[in-house]
Amino acid sequence: MSDEIDFDEILGKYHSDPYEYVDIFASHTGKVRFLVEEGSSIEAVSGEWKHIPGTALFEITRERNPKKVTALTNGVVSSLCSEHEGCFVEAGEKLMTIRHPLKKKEIIESILKEVLFIFHAPERAKYFFSLDVQSRIEKKSAREVSIKPGDEIIIMSLMKRDTPVYYSGEKGVIHSVYFTPGVSVDQGAPLIGVCPVDKLPLIKKIITRVKADWDKKE
Amino acid sequence: MDNLTLLSPFTLDDYVVTVELPLRKQGCSPDSAMVLRYGAYVGSVVLVYPSLGRAMDTAREHISSREESGRSVANGSVILASSLSLSKGRFCRSWYAPPGGLWGCLILADTFLAPFRNFLPLIPGIACCEALQQFGASEAAIRWVNDVLIQGRKQAGFLIEGFRSPVYGEQYHLLGFGLNLNNSTFPAELQESAISLTQVLGHPIDTVSFGLSFLAKMRYYIGLLLYEEERWLARGGGDTYEEEHPILKRWKELSDTLGKRVLFGYDVMENPQYEAVVHGVTTDGGLILQHDDGSTSVENSGEVRYCRE
Repeated sequence: MSDEIDFDEILGKYHSDPYEYVDIFASHTGKVRFLVEEGSSIEAVSGEWKHIPGTALFEITRERNPKKVTALTNGVVSSLCSEHEGCFVEAGEKLMTIRHPLKKKEIIESILKEVLFIFHAPERAKYFFSLDVQSRIEKKSAREVSIKPGDEIIIMSLMKRDTPVYYSGEKGVIHSVYFTPGVSVDQGAPLIGVCPVDKLPLIKKIITRVKADWDKKE
Repeated sequence: MDNLTLLSPFTLDDYVVTVELPLRKQGCSPDSAMVLRYGAYVGSVVLVYPSLGRAMDTAREHISSREESGRSVANGSVILASSLSLSKGRFCRSWYAPPGGLWGCLILADTFLAPFRNFLPLIPGIACCEALQQFGASEAAIRWVNDVLIQGRKQAGFLIEGFRSPVYGEQYHLLGFGLNLNNSTFPAELQESAISLTQVLGHPIDTVSFGLSFLAKMRYYIGLLLYEEERWLARGGGDTYEEEHPILKRWKELSDTLGKRVLFGYDVMENPQYEAVVHGVTTDGGLILQHDDGSTSVENSGEVRYCRE
């Protein structure tokens, strides 16, 4: 992570294009039927328990078993791979892109994800801090809890199987926590963002600058 | 002390050959001998203690001390104790483990493929339920994920904790089990919610025989997990297992959770989250819950309590 950040360049990028482009891929092989068009507005999954599905994006059928895939994020369909309509696709084939409008908090997180070390979820499961880390967080705050490679930091809970997750990454403090205990996290989603202690002033500078700049704009 | 020392790898092998295998052959599984061979490492070492604090802690110490002396622990080792003084369930809930029950821990090296690990927690519930039915408790049923209930009260509980060994860095699953068998008194806070097999049958049972039956079935289903892994790999494998696994199929036959209205929560006793009706289970064992507005959600982690009808 560089000490020097060109704030004007980063902020200029978000000012001119304050969106995240989320690519949607085929979850498995099958025949695809699109349920949206280019330009369609998309609603995200919602509800207290995330139980109200988002807009149905496409249906994928394998062995006469149709499965509707719904949106996790809101936005607009900015591009649709319409050549796949009615065709058999492989797992991982890109099907469309959703342009998701970013909020100030998301922009800050997005910039921070570029400068923090992000530790990802190894499996789709529920996560919570290990007892030791949790008690240290309760005594101080996450940003004062230092972790290093090999530390047992998080417990992954799946089907009544609790597995310790060991940290592998840069030594530093837990700057950002991206999971909520008891809420499922998808495989590969960020769990925590870690910042080396000597880089903390830079991170604070980023947050202050983005907030000030965005507030001024708004 | 119970005569748990009679529960040894030799008596278990004998039980598997003379009782379990013929029982399996009566069923419709043509490969039962092969499946039992795959699971033969379960119970290859049995360590019996008169009493322990917590069997899971003893398992950790056992793995560590073996590695520190330049050896490794035998995969499938079983630790048994006649009583536990510091036993606890998930979320540090108290678990009463006096003489008369079957208390212990099974040490399993994590040799399982990722898409199959989800089925591991289903196995102890199935094994226990089958053993109970074999001993006459025909109404035993599994509540998702693996609580075993009789007459709506908990007869057995299981938990699985991961452990990375300190010297070799090997990953283990420590499968803790607590089965109420001949113990018939419970502390006041558990009297309404717990039950033992002897209370159901009205007479004591042979703890060793029950232990042999339970471990033989554990051996069968862990063997089935590995056997199915090999068949899946032979078909090309992949990232996910999309078919209905025979372990899940058996779990569905023994569970009474499907169709029930439940209270769900990650820690349902301390923090119940919502009520819903169990609509089904996913191919990886997750619970499909239907909310009152008709929408559904899938929970892969957490626990349920049945709502009164």
